[in-house]
Amino acid sequence: MSILSPFRNLLNTRHDIARNLKTKGKKVIGWSCTYTPEELIYAVSALPLMVFGDVENTKLADIYLPVNTCSFARGCFNTALKGDYDYLDGFVASSSCDNRDKIFDMWRHHAEIPYMHFVNTPHTRTKRAQTFFYEEILKLKTWLEKSFGRMIPEIRLKNAVEIYNENRRLLRRVYDLRKKEPPLISGVEALEIVLSSMVMLKENHNELLNRLLAEVSSRADPPKGGVRLLVAGSVMDNSKLLKIVEAVGGSVVADDWCTGSRYFWNLVDSNGDPLHAIADRYLNKIPSSFMLGQEERFGHSMKMAKTFDVDAAIVFTLKFCDTHLFDAPQLKEKLRTQGLPVLLLEWEHSLSGLAQMKTRIEAFIEMVGGV
Amino acid sequence: MEKSEIDRRLQTTKGFYRNYVRKFYEDAHKTKAEGTPVAWVASTFPIEMLLATNVFPVWPENYASICAAKHVSVRLCEIAESKGFSKDLCSYARCVIGSLFEKRANLPEGGLPKPDFLVTSTSACDTHYKWFQVISRHFNVPLFLLDVPYNIKGKSSSHLEKEHIEFYVSGLNQLIDFLEVQTGKKIDKRRLQETIALSDQTSKLWMEILDYRKTIPVPMGARDAFSAVFFMLCIPSTHMAIEFYTKLNSEVRKRVENNFGITEHEKYRLIWDNLPLWYNLEFFEYLKKQGAVVVAETFSHVWMGRLDPVKPMEALAKKYLPNFANCSIDRKIDLIEDLAEKFKVDGIILPTNWGCRMMSVGETIVKEEILKRLGIPSLIIDVDSSDWRSFNETQIKKRVEVFLQMLNRDN
Ligand code: SF4
Ligand code: SF4
Repeated sequence: MSILSPFRNLLNTRHDIARNLKTKGKKVIGWSCTYTPEELIYAVSALPLMVFGDVENTKLADIYLPVNTCSFARGCFNTALKGDYDYLDGFVASSSCDNRDKIFDMWRHHAEIPYMHFVNTPHTRTKRAQTFFYEEILKLKTWLEKSFGRMIPEIRLKNAVEIYNENRRLLRRVYDLRKKEPPLISGVEALEIVLSSMVMLKENHNELLNRLLAEVSSRADPPKGGVRLLVAGSVMDNSKLLKIVEAVGGSVVADDWCTGSRYFWNLVDSNGDPLHAIADRYLNKIPSSFMLGQEERFGHSMKMAKTFDVDAAIVFTLKFCDTHLFDAPQLKEKLRTQGLPVLLLEWEHSLSGLAQMKTRIEAFIEMVGGV
Repeated sequence: MEKSEIDRRLQTTKGFYRNYVRKFYEDAHKTKAEGTPVAWVASTFPIEMLLATNVFPVWPENYASICAAKHVSVRLCEIAESKGFSKDLCSYARCVIGSLFEKRANLPEGGLPKPDFLVTSTSACDTHYKWFQVISRHFNVPLFLLDVPYNIKGKSSSHLEKEHIEFYVSGLNQLIDFLEVQTGKKIDKRRLQETIALSDQTSKLWMEILDYRKTIPVPMGARDAFSAVFFMLCIPSTHMAIEFYTKLNSEVRKRVENNFGITEHEKYRLIWDNLPLWYNLEFFEYLKKQGAVVVAETFSHVWMGRLDPVKPMEALAKKYLPNFANCSIDRKIDLIEDLAEKFKVDGIILPTNWGCRMMSVGETIVKEEILKRLGIPSLIIDVDSSDWRSFNETQIKKRVEVFLQMLNRDN
């Protein structure tokens, strides 16, 4: 058994784990956008759990959603309709893109979750936006306290911040393992590590990470490496795409997407009032494409490419994800000026058109590997 | 028969494109050449703020609809696609991005005059600011983003939260700072109030015009509404707009008094949601031939709203925040419900828009809810406003005909 197996197992059994925690009296609250301040949910003694989408089929969601809807959001809605998440005690949505906003309406109309809350995320970081977002976070806190009948004292928040920051620091150390050639962990493994952190209690995840870091250098099954790649784009909630990339000779050593480095790169300032610090952290973290800070976002990709010494980049977007689709050609140009070959890839979460995509990735990697 | 139908066209909107739209773009180019700053602006932006300054605002979305009506939009979209912009993005955006790479001589009205800066908001769609980022980068000109909170259903779908109004107003104050830097001139508060007062007047006239369409037979159809709404969108607070709407208002009123409709055979009264098929405005004529008239469009109803000039900033917040594009889908459902009752409607056409999430996702709930609340059926047609490449006219017409027959059975 690989030392990486626990992460994958956790990911695969996440529903059972959550249900199990519930029998012990724990509340489970879903979230779907990485701009949701999980620390607050954690501090109300609940398990914050990211909702992942169905990949294989989305028949139920297809009844209600037109074809031109983001397939990730579609997949999430499908799981809700199917009842995969019927154990959720609450759900926190966030206004980060048109697909999400409108699908939140669909959830309200069609899926039954006892408590739902919507966090209005600004798209700018002006002083007024900071205040507005802080007020939104306050409202989230009040909502959590009221819905779950438990106050969130400052001390609990501080504790949450500490545990979350620890997780972020550890994840960065895990990412550092990929600077080596060949990397000590593969891109698929790194993704599964990050994803598993989103569906379990962070203190348990921290333990696993510590163990991994202690043992990884002597692992028996290191990845074989390949063409070093940066993969940048929107969201990735399963490892299907990366598995293809790594099966045809790619080695994903750096990433820039919501559920990758952007998820944990920035820490919460642990001095001062935790609520303000949390609000600041989330609004000012490396921006997703719905935020105005485009240059900063591109800058992060470029920096990742450099620090992780990549040979090429894949810029991927989910179909119908407008914010990323507009950015993609511009990010491609930026990375090109850094001397990197770039492949633009639009993909369906459901992986339809797989064969063709595989051929394109393979050809790209061959091309890069050949030079 | 044919002849009498032609005679039923409104006089005021005759030659609308030539007399007003073309003139508008000529003025834009002229003013730009004379040194007045030109701003590109997106819909649902409080355009009054620009009209109150010495800035000439032009509207890329309007320009894209012109390109579609003139059947050049697809060619321009293809240029954008060749630059890496996805075919699934909003066709307005693709069309205008494409036009940046095309010779002016090949563009309707010589293209859009080069912007000195761009202003947009988050209040309609993600496309607006992402698209404008592309343009801003292309011309290397500044972009101002008015950050607007999404209006999730509160107590009611039109309820406005105090914090949202405050946030909006603070955004307008930032906009003033931005405009002052861009134009090098202080904003004239008196002129702002005058502009708001004019916009209010324009809106009042427009609301009256739309209201006349409650009459049976309907005195004005969708084609005229989609033309005439131009003033509400592009220059709502000008004397020209008021003059035009006064004329249109009295012509439509006379029709109501004389019981004169756009067709002799009005059988079905419809609401048309979202955008028309700009490349196929004849579609409304086709509907008319089936006895179906469009008596209200959600599109023409979203731009209006009375404005209190004494409090210009709050007035703008209250006009633009409840725009259904910025609200949960309940807002649109309530609007359609209201229109359906007031305008005595038999059916609703819900065209989605391929590149537009805002106009596509949620239409199934609209359909379900309106049926539940009023027993009125809807027809969802999957189309695109400006990209006709996947438009299957025969198939769509067939579906419309089946839908109309069903309405017939219901009667
Ligand atoms: S992938 Fe894009 S469109 Fe889909 S939910 Fe995320 S940001 Fe929105
Ligand atoms: S059509 Fe839709 S996506 Fe395009 S600009 Fe209008 S609201 Fe935005």
